[in-house]
Amino acid sequence: MTSLLEKPAPASRSAAAPESPRETRRAKRHTGLPPGEKRSTVLTVALWVAAGYFLLPLFWLVVSSTKDNSGLFSSFGLWFDDEFHLFDNLATLFTQQNGVFVRWIGNTVLYAGVSAVGAAFLAAAAGYAFAKYSFRGKKLLFAIVLGSIMIPTTALAIPTYLLFAEAGLTNTAWAIIVPSLVSPFGVYLMRIYAEESIPDSLIEAARIDGAGEFRIFAQIGLRIMVPGFITVLLFALVATWNNYFLPLIMLSDPSLFPLTLGLAQLQAASEAGGGASAQFSTVITGSLVSILPLMIAFLYLQRYWQSGLTTGGTKE
Amino acid sequence: MTTALARTSAAPRKRGSADRRKKSLAAYAMIAPFILVFVAMLLIPLIYAGYLSLFKVQLVGGEAFVGLDNYLRALQDQKFIGGVLRMCLFLVIQVPIMLGLALVFALALDSARVRGGKFARLAIFVPYAVPGVVATLMWGYLYGKNFGPIAQVFESVGLAAPDLLGPQNILGSIMNIVTWQFVGYNMVIMYSALRAIPTEQYEAARIDGAGQFRIAWSIKIPSIRSAIILTLIFSIIGSFQLFSEPKLLYEIAPAAIGTDFSPNLYAYNLAFINQDVNYAAAIAFLLGFCIMIVSYVVQLSTARREKRERKAR
Amino acid sequence: MLKPRHRSVALGALSLGLTGALLAGCASSSDAGGGSTDTATITQEQIDEAMSTPTTIDFWSWVPDIQNEIDLFEAKYPEITVNLSNQGGATAQYQKLRTVIESGDVPDVAQIEYSFLPSFTLTGSVLDLTPYGAADLADQFVPSTWSQVATNGGVWGLPQDAGPTGQLYRTDLFAQAGIEPPATWEEYPAAAKAFKDATGSYITDLPGNSFSPILALLWQAGARPFGFDGDKTVTIDFDSDEVQQVIGFWNDLIQQDLVATEPQLDDNWYQSMSNGSYASWLAAAWGPVFLQGTAENTSGLWQATELPQWEGAEPASGNQGGSAVTVLADSDAKIAAAEFVKFLNTDPESTLKFATEQFIFPATVATQEAPEFRDQELPFYGGQKVNSLFVDINATVAEDWQWLPFNDFASSSFKETLGAAITQKTDLFAALDEWHAQLVEYAEQQGFTVE
Repeated sequence: MTSLLEKPAPASRSAAAPESPRETRRAKRHTGLPPGEKRSTVLTVALWVAAGYFLLPLFWLVVSSTKDNSGLFSSFGLWFDDEFHLFDNLATLFTQQNGVFVRWIGNTVLYAGVSAVGAAFLAAAAGYAFAKYSFRGKKLLFAIVLGSIMIPTTALAIPTYLLFAEAGLTNTAWAIIVPSLVSPFGVYLMRIYAEESIPDSLIEAARIDGAGEFRIFAQIGLRIMVPGFITVLLFALVATWNNYFLPLIMLSDPSLFPLTLGLAQLQAASEAGGGASAQFSTVITGSLVSILPLMIAFLYLQRYWQSGLTTGGTKE
Repeated sequence: MTTALARTSAAPRKRGSADRRKKSLAAYAMIAPFILVFVAMLLIPLIYAGYLSLFKVQLVGGEAFVGLDNYLRALQDQKFIGGVLRMCLFLVIQVPIMLGLALVFALALDSARVRGGKFARLAIFVPYAVPGVVATLMWGYLYGKNFGPIAQVFESVGLAAPDLLGPQNILGSIMNIVTWQFVGYNMVIMYSALRAIPTEQYEAARIDGAGQFRIAWSIKIPSIRSAIILTLIFSIIGSFQLFSEPKLLYEIAPAAIGTDFSPNLYAYNLAFINQDVNYAAAIAFLLGFCIMIVSYVVQLSTARREKRERKAR
Repeated sequence: MLKPRHRSVALGALSLGLTGALLAGCASSSDAGGGSTDTATITQEQIDEAMSTPTTIDFWSWVPDIQNEIDLFEAKYPEITVNLSNQGGATAQYQKLRTVIESGDVPDVAQIEYSFLPSFTLTGSVLDLTPYGAADLADQFVPSTWSQVATNGGVWGLPQDAGPTGQLYRTDLFAQAGIEPPATWEEYPAAAKAFKDATGSYITDLPGNSFSPILALLWQAGARPFGFDGDKTVTIDFDSDEVQQVIGFWNDLIQQDLVATEPQLDDNWYQSMSNGSYASWLAAAWGPVFLQGTAENTSGLWQATELPQWEGAEPASGNQGGSAVTVLADSDAKIAAAEFVKFLNTDPESTLKFATEQFIFPATVATQEAPEFRDQELPFYGGQKVNSLFVDINATVAEDWQWLPFNDFASSSFKETLGAAITQKTDLFAALDEWHAQLVEYAEQQGFTVE
C-alpha cells in the first residue's frame, strides 16, 4: 500500500482547488451523451439484467417477510403466498423477548453512530494534519497507518478481546465503539481530500488574519472537507453497522446486542431450538427491518459520498 | 490562545522557527487522538498477539514458553495450509469476476449509453448496505435444497436441483454471496474515478474515429489504474479475511464447511472451541503475513508493469 | 467554534486512559479460574440470610419460556431477582461462557448439557454443589441423569431434563409400504429396503451434523467409547466390538442408500419431516414436541415407540441431549444461586410446569410419575400417552456413559470426520479412524494421557 501511495501524482491530475477548471469540466460531462452517440440496447438490457440479479434476494426478502413459518416452507419462494402475514410478523418481531428487537435497533444506531462520527473526526483531524503540515516522523507514521490496513481485523479481535477482558470492558458498549474508531483508510482518504481541496493559499490567508491552527482546521478545513468527511462517516457507519465478529466475541448480554448479532442469534435459536421456537419468519422480517435504515442513509446522502470517493479513487 | 503573543513578541528570524515548531505541535495535536486509538486498538493487540503466540497453555499441565513452536506447527498444519490455499483459490476466481463486473458496469454507466442508468447504478450498489449476516441468511434460504426458490425453479422445469450447499458447490456459493455484496461498492469507486477523467483526454481520440471500446481500453482503463489497484488490494485483504459467511453457513451446511474453511474461521475455532488461544494468535499472525506478502507482490508487479509501459511509450 | 477541538481532546483523553488500562491489563497475569475448594457445608442460617438479602442472579439458558419457572422462584423469594439471558442455543452459549470465564465476569447460573459438563469441571469453572446440600437430593433424580452430574467426587449441577431415545414414525407411510416399524436392528435393513422400494422415501434420517444420534445408538448397544478419570487421563476406544458393530450397521445402510443422511433440525429437515420424505425419526424424549410444532399438517399420523433393539440384549436406549443447571465457580452469589438451581429442578410445581407446559422431559422421579405428565394424551400422536412410553424408555438407559472433558472439540471434529462421511455417504470406518486420530492428537496436545 505504501509504495503505491508515496508516488507523486502525475502532473495531468495535479491537485485542483474548488474554483479550478475541474468544476467546469465536470459540469460539461453532465450534459450526457456525446454528440453522435446513441443509447445502446445491448448495454441497457445487460445492466438491467444485472440490476435484477442484485435486487432478487431483496425482493425475496420482501416477499418472505409477508409469510408465516408454514407459508415459508410450502409456497414458491419468489412470489407471495395467499395469506399476508407481514403485520403479524412485525408484531411478533417487536414484542418477542420483551421487545428486545427495539433495543437491538437502538444499540446498532448508538454503536454505529458514535463510532462513525468519532472515526470521521479522528480521521479528518489526522488526514488534515498529514496533508497540510510537515513534521518529523510524518512519512514513517503515515506508512505505519497505511500498512495497518493489511492486518486482518478479525485476527486482532481475539487479542483485543483478551485485553478488554483484563480491563473489565467486555460486555459494554465501549468494547464495540472504541475499536471501531480506528479507520486507517479514512485517514488516507481525508489526507488525499485535504490535499486536493484545501488550497494552501487559503490557509496562509487565514494565518495572516491571525487565526490559530485549530481554528483554521475547524472553520476552513473541516468545512471544505465535508464531502470527504461524509464519505468516511458513511463507510465507518456501514463497517460498524454490519460488524458481526467484534460484537460476537465482545458481548454476551442480549440487551447489548446490535442487530447483526441479534438476528444471527435468533436464526441459530430457530435452527437449534427447533419446533417450539422456530422463528424463521421473525428472523426474515427482522432482516428486512434491519437493512432499511442504511439503505435510506445511502440513497439520501448519495451526492456527498460519491464526490468524496471521486477524490479517493483517482489519487495515486 | 498564544498565537497573538508569539506573533508580536518574537523577532522575525526567531519567529520563523517558532512558527514551525508551533505548526508541528498543532499537527501532532491533530494526529494524536487518532494515533492514540490506533496504538491502543491496533498496535497493542498486535504486540499482545505476538506475545501470546510464543506460549503454549494446556488444558492440563499449564503454561510454558515455547518460542516459535506454534509457528512451526502452523506451517505443518494441513488445516491452516488448506485454508490459505482455499482462500487463494477464492481470490483467483472471485476477485477477477467481481472486479471485472464492477469495471464493465462502471464503464457502461460512464458511457451514458444505458437507459435508466441511475436506477441500475443504485440497484447494483444497494447490496453493499446489507450486512454480511443478512446477506448470508438470505442466500442461505435461496440456496436451500428443499424449499429454496432456486431449487423450486429447477424442479418446476424437471431438472434435478443442484446442492448449492454441498461440499462441491459451497465455495462457489460463498463466492456468489461476496460478489453480490461487493460488486456495487467496487463499481462505485471505479465509476467515481471515471467521472474524474477530463473529457479532453478522449475527445481527441473520438475525433480520430476511435470507438467506445477502444476508448475504454486504451484511455479510460489506464486512467483509473490507481482506483482499480485500490479495489484489488482491498479485495485481496477482504478475501483472506473471509469469516461471517462460512461461520453462518456452517450451521446449515456443516458437512461442506469445516472448522478450517477459512484461516480466520480456523483461528476463531481454535480460540473458542479448541481453547487454544496461543496457537490461534500464531495463526492470526501468519495470516497477516500472508496478506502482506500477496498485497506487496500485487503492488510490485503492477508498479513494474507501469514502469515498463512508461518506458515503451 | 472550538467544539471540534474539544471533542478531539476529550477523545484523546479517553483513548489515553484506555491505553493505560490496557497496558496495566497486559502486565497483570490472569490465573485460570480455579474451582471452589471451600467444602464447609452451608448452614440453614446462611441460606436464610442469603435468601432474604436483595440479590441479582444472572442466569444463562436457551430453554424457551423458562421465565415461567423463574417467576415461580421470584414469587417465593421476593428479594432475589433472576436476570435471564439467551445466547441463542447451547453451542453459542458454551463459546460465550468460555470467553466470559476467561474474563471472570461470569453469570451465576448456567444451563449446561451433560455432554459438556466435564469440559467445564475440568477447567474448574463450575461449582461443586455438595456443600450446598445437593448430595441429599440424589434419590429425587432418575439414576441415569444423576450419574451425569455426580462425577469424580462432586455434584456439578442438578439435572433438569433427559433425552432418552425412542422412535417417532408415520403410521400412514408404514401402512402404505405394508410393513410394521421394525422391533429389532436385525430386521431393520430389510424393512428399510421394503419401505424404500414401496414409497421411494427413506425409513429414517441419520444426521451427520450432530454426534448425539449416533452416540445414543452406541450407548444403546453397550459401547463406552469415552472415559475421563477427572484428572488427566482420558479413554478413547473405538475398537470395541460394540462400536464396530453399530458403525458397520449404519455403514451398510448408508452405502446401500437405505437411509437419508441430511443434517437434522434445520429448516430443510423440518420440511422433509412434514412432507413425508422420512418415515421415522430416532428421536429423544424432547423430539415429539419439536415435531408437533413444525409438521402440523401431519397431525394424528404419528406414533411413538421404542428404538429397535439388538437381538438377545436387554432392552436398552441412550440419551440425546439432556442438561443440568450449574452454578459458576466465580459466582458472587453462590448460596442464592445454588438455592435457585435447587428450586428450579426439584420444586414440584416448577418441574411439573417444565414438563407439562414447556414439554421438557423431566429428570426427577416424582415428575416422571406425576399423572399430569405421564397420562398426557397427545393428539398429534393419535392420542397416545407418549410421555409414559418415554418414561419407560428412560429406565432402560445405562448409567455408566461418560464424556470427554473437551466436548467442544470432540463435537466439532466429529462433524469434520465421521459426521461428514455420514452426510456424504462415504466409508464410515475410515472416517471413524480419522476422528480417533484427531481426538488423540488433540488430547495429547492438551497434556492428557490417552488410554
